[in-house]
Amino acid sequence: METGAPEVTPPPCSGQPCAVAAKMAALGGGGTRWRRAWLPALQLLRRGSKAVTRHWKAMHLQRQKLMAVTEYLPPRPAVPPRCLPRPSAHGVQEDGQARVLRRQVQDTLSASRMVAVCHYNPMADEDVATFRHYLRKHGIHVKFVLNEIARPVVAQSKFRNLLPLFVSRNILLVSAEPRAREMLRVLRGVPQVILLGAVIDGTILSRRGVENFAQLPSLEVSQGQTVAALSLLPSQTSSLLQQGPARLTALLDEHIRRLRDAGAATEPPTGNH
Amino acid sequence: MWRWRLPGPLRPGGGQGGLGRITIPEKPKLKFMDKVPAVPKVRREPRQLRDIRGPSEVATDFTEGQYGILALGGGYLHWGHFEMIRLTIGRSIDPKNMFAVWRVPPPSKAVTRKSLGHRMGGGKGPIDRYVTAVKSGRLVVEVGGRCEFGEVEPFLARVAQKLPFPAVPVSRESLQEMRREEEEKRLNNQNPWTFERVVTSNMLGMRKYLSPYDLRLKGRYWGKFFLKHRV
Repeated sequence: METGAPEVTPPPCSGQPCAVAAKMAALGGGGTRWRRAWLPALQLLRRGSKAVTRHWKAMHLQRQKLMAVTEYLPPRPAVPPRCLPRPSAHGVQEDGQARVLRRQVQDTLSASRMVAVCHYNPMADEDVATFRHYLRKHGIHVKFVLNEIARPVVAQSKFRNLLPLFVSRNILLVSAEPRAREMLRVLRGVPQVILLGAVIDGTILSRRGVENFAQLPSLEVSQGQTVAALSLLPSQTSSLLQQGPARLTALLDEHIRRLRDAGAATEPPTGNH
Repeated sequence: MWRWRLPGPLRPGGGQGGLGRITIPEKPKLKFMDKVPAVPKVRREPRQLRDIRGPSEVATDFTEGQYGILALGGGYLHWGHFEMIRLTIGRSIDPKNMFAVWRVPPPSKAVTRKSLGHRMGGGKGPIDRYVTAVKSGRLVVEVGGRCEFGEVEPFLARVAQKLPFPAVPVSRESLQEMRREEEEKRLNNQNPWTFERVVTSNMLGMRKYLSPYDLRLKGRYWGKFFLKHRV
């Protein structure tokens, strides 16, 4: 039979249940037996981790349900945006830099006799520098172009049939002299740059066409050859016409020579006076 | 190096939040932080994990710099983290044009650890190291000077990834944008049932399953984690 002292402490027990037991004892207070009250905030400390853990602590099911119910719901417009017409391409602001680059490309295209479009695969910077150096020795400039600038320029110039080539990473090899042979030689040594097509003196050439063009002799030689080919028939005609008189002349010369020889043979005795 | 994309339109006046002159302080690099405070603690202190829990009240806004690292979760930074931050940022900034500033104090909280392989009991372990507590929403470092966010973002992102809590590099504008978006979300939430409403009015007796801290944290924080997608 207990006295009215509420602070009867139970015998010391290990760890957390101490708190529970103490509270139970305090709750009991002034009466016969201490009632078995159950406070969840304390009872749950018996097992489980603290509030702040390194791992993601598992939530009570009711809490999970509450979190699921109180999730964010975004506003839904009456007409879904995909049913509305597409907004016009915003940002059509004229970019000064784009304008400058376009002007540069235009000038380059108009000022060069040979423009070769190549596909560029990434290479080391020093290799790029070497490549440019070798081409520069033959007077060929390497220009890196951005497709979004080059495409409108090319579409409006006389090179519009080259438009399908301006896809992916491109470089332009431009020069004032059509030095196809040297260009091909350098390109053969650089596998990362692939020739796609070229425009030489207003003629669009494919890769094969450029190779053929490179094997052609130079302009003077080909001019001479053309002249020779053209003048073949007239020269034949003239030689035919001259054949008769030439033969006659040759025969007469032979005759004169024979007569001279014969005269020389008979005359020498009389020539000794 | 040839750039295969056109850079975007230039934005005028990306300076120090509109100020004209930017002054680089005398010591632009981050100060060295001690491993152990000058007066090491004698009395071992309780763990007090509530210094990790919940949102931060201090150092939530920019002071000197323009860009920084924002903590999106709670955690402890120890000397190793400080050294990593100091050296990475020191390596990546240009001291003539940029500067960096700490927004967290040096480690002062003593953390104990019992030696490995021993059973429970035998008292509290000795002090292992000193740490700084960081709550979500706090800035860790600030970087400023004559630089753009694009220059600063890569190395700040690398540092942020190595921190013990989730962190992101932010600028003044991006932080403002983040806060504005949060506010907008809160206002245009179509769900009539919010955590805050349920907890404050104790609907369905939910407070039996929730902590009294949830009144303050409103379901956005769970332990040391910050739930960015909530409300």
